[in-house]
Amino acid sequence: MLHERLIDALGADAVKTAPEDVRAYAFDAYTDGRPPAAVVLPAGTREVCAAVKIALDCGEPIVPRGSGTGLCGGAVPIEGGIVMSLARMNRVLAYEPARRRARVQPGLINLDLSRATARDGLFYAPDPSSQRISTIGGNIATNAGGPHCLSYGTTVNHVLGLEIVDDNGEVFTTDVDRAGYDLTAALVGSEGTLGIVTAAWVRLMRLPEAVRVWLATFADVDSASDAVSAIIAAGIVPTALEMMDAVATRAVEAAFAAGYPTDAGAVLLIEHAGFEDEMNAYESEIARIAREHGANSWRAARSAAERDALWAGRKGAAGAMGRLSPNYYLQDVCVRRSTLPKALHAVEEIAREYRLTVANVFHAGDGNLHPLLCYDKRDAKQVAAVIESGNEILRMAVDLGGTVSGEHGIGYEKREAMTAVYSTEDLAAMARVRDVFDPKRAFNPEKIFPAGVRCPEVVPA
Amino acid sequence: MSGSRARVTAESIAELLAQCSREGRAVSVCGGNTLQGMGRPMEHPHVTLSTLDLREIVEDAPADLTIAVQSGITLRALATQLARHSTHVPFDAPHAADATVGGTLAAGWLGPRRHLYGRPRDFVIGSVAVLADGTIARAGGMVVKNVSGYDMSRLYVGSFGTLAVLVQVNLKTLAAPGHARMFHLRLPERTRERALAQLSRLTVTPSAAFWIHGHHATLDGDDGDEGRMSILLEGAPTVLERATRDLRSAMGSAGVPETYVIDAGARESFERIVDAYVACVGERSVTYRIACFPDDVLPRVDACSALSGRFELRSDAIVDAMNGDLIFRVNDLDARSFGAKIEMFDDALHDQEPQAIVIAGNHRSRPLLAVWGAQVDGIDKMRALKAQFDPKNILNPGRFVGGL
Repeated sequence: MLHERLIDALGADAVKTAPEDVRAYAFDAYTDGRPPAAVVLPAGTREVCAAVKIALDCGEPIVPRGSGTGLCGGAVPIEGGIVMSLARMNRVLAYEPARRRARVQPGLINLDLSRATARDGLFYAPDPSSQRISTIGGNIATNAGGPHCLSYGTTVNHVLGLEIVDDNGEVFTTDVDRAGYDLTAALVGSEGTLGIVTAAWVRLMRLPEAVRVWLATFADVDSASDAVSAIIAAGIVPTALEMMDAVATRAVEAAFAAGYPTDAGAVLLIEHAGFEDEMNAYESEIARIAREHGANSWRAARSAAERDALWAGRKGAAGAMGRLSPNYYLQDVCVRRSTLPKALHAVEEIAREYRLTVANVFHAGDGNLHPLLCYDKRDAKQVAAVIESGNEILRMAVDLGGTVSGEHGIGYEKREAMTAVYSTEDLAAMARVRDVFDPKRAFNPEKIFPAGVRCPEVVPA
Repeated sequence: MSGSRARVTAESIAELLAQCSREGRAVSVCGGNTLQGMGRPMEHPHVTLSTLDLREIVEDAPADLTIAVQSGITLRALATQLARHSTHVPFDAPHAADATVGGTLAAGWLGPRRHLYGRPRDFVIGSVAVLADGTIARAGGMVVKNVSGYDMSRLYVGSFGTLAVLVQVNLKTLAAPGHARMFHLRLPERTRERALAQLSRLTVTPSAAFWIHGHHATLDGDDGDEGRMSILLEGAPTVLERATRDLRSAMGSAGVPETYVIDAGARESFERIVDAYVACVGERSVTYRIACFPDDVLPRVDACSALSGRFELRSDAIVDAMNGDLIFRVNDLDARSFGAKIEMFDDALHDQEPQAIVIAGNHRSRPLLAVWGAQVDGIDKMRALKAQFDPKNILNPGRFVGGL
């Protein structure tokens, strides 16, 4: 009945039901769930509405999905149901370069938007490392960041309005310039639990006049993280400030030959975008702070090609980890920037205790750590060690006044960790929002909120 | 809290709200009262809750470029604290000496430098709020990136105090721009469009640019029937020098006759313009904010001016040329004639500009105006949120959009 109704409404080519077809949608980059009863690939908002209504009628939950690059099980159908892939809704619906904005469908690949607008000197700022494959809809769901959000802000700062299909299969819109509650902000980062985003107005930025990229090397991670804290404490916020440790740099060099030194204990990749007139002074100041904190070399990328190669290496770093071990687990925590040295030290200790190789490649300027724990999933002991050390890293971040996700979201993986950050009252306030948008828990169930604590139970009497 | 000598704390607010929720008593939440011209006036008998006692800096973390403050601290006090570390948070709300951080955020104020630095809500990384039932709820934290659950802080911000009372906000800060320079230009009618069009072509984006018509009583300069432009540039000295050359050349080619530059007092001059956004003419003016785009704001100013002329109302305008905001004030010589016209004007304006909202004006006819513009999409969701967070409807009842 479900299948027939979906095919009637969306057409046979937009509905997958064969076990071998739907199994592929039970995964994201973190884990797998139950194969869904069906996968739908709507072509537009109307089809999304129809599919939502049918799913609700049939009592099936709906799990929205972009490219499935998420790292927390956010797009995984834990209870089966219907996976709604927005991949076919990948068009730019309106483009207004003079107003520096575009209206896009959720399945548009992030990088494709910047590519399409570059001819007018514009770009879309949020740039998660997955931007070649991840979708803007998925980025909205997780309020995705990226190296350049240090200066430009995360996705929520770049979304001007949304079109959403609600739990009745009806459409409503939000607009940050309209009077009323900031529903846009509530929906961005809600991980598909409050409705299905079917279109978004996004802000475009003017490409900078000048971009410089510098590379500073350090003997160890401690001195590099001291330098990062000192740069931020001096009030300098470059466009991007990334760190890689020796394990990461060697893997990246082996994979990409991007131009990173393989003999350094840690490297900082620093980018500043702005005006040609200020670059020299800017470089002098950052280089001075870096040297004061032990930088033993400093070099500037001499060409756009060299700059692009360094960035390609950085953004491809997670992929390069395949050279170190059959599997890796990428943790995502955010700490206060001044506690970065302590946090990195703690990560090293945790990895040592569990006898795991750890590679650190992360958004240092934001205090957003991404320890990559290397393991072999065929070895049950290693799997257990990775899970426990991952949890210890979460606890460490919270103990340092940080949080359990900087940019990847909570999804299925981290929902139990929410209680480490928030009290019952804090979570109950969030549950009130869920109750408004999705009282029946039809959208992406078993995500964000801790298991075993149903929302009605956390709402105080 | 009126009538009480006890210092207001988060806990005392929680107690008060829990009691008012039980008794179904309305609570009017206020900060520095600088934006009391926004929203519908309170009609219910109510308890007044002032946040002015909540003025502590909870945690200043300059090494993290973050700060946590109580919501009743004034924008000036916050700026003074941040200036010690050469940082700032550009909220750009009027009357910074009195305006509170919580009030500015709750009112969803949008300042003129947001196109460059971001909206006020984008600086909020965490909050402590008291909900209508007295629950104290925290959200976010002191880290600059955080995707752990829904962004409750941003939901409370801009809710006009109708969902929760903000008692603390955690903010990320920015390095303050080292230097500022303000340009004042006389802008004859024939040069206006060309001059504004030049702004988007400048290589150094101005921090703010205004086209101002009228406002003679509150702002310097007598431009007669012509308008004038004020442009704020910020940055390093080398960048400012280049920007100055570019700006003069661009304005020269647009036919703008003269450019008057001030360095000392540039920021004060900018603040006076922001203050003028909410300047009232006795009890016989109403000021609207109309969200336009930089490329269509001028014809919309002209249409609004023509409309006010039809009603024989006087008008002043401030155009935020970088964001496209139109701040349009209408007034009359005496309150009685103003009262006779303003309701009809308000209707006619909303036919023309459905999203126009009132940001200032204390005329007694305000309850009859469409102060939040036309009905907004998503209002059902907003009503449901209000019912969830404030089921007894005690927080600022009726003051916000759609009677929220």
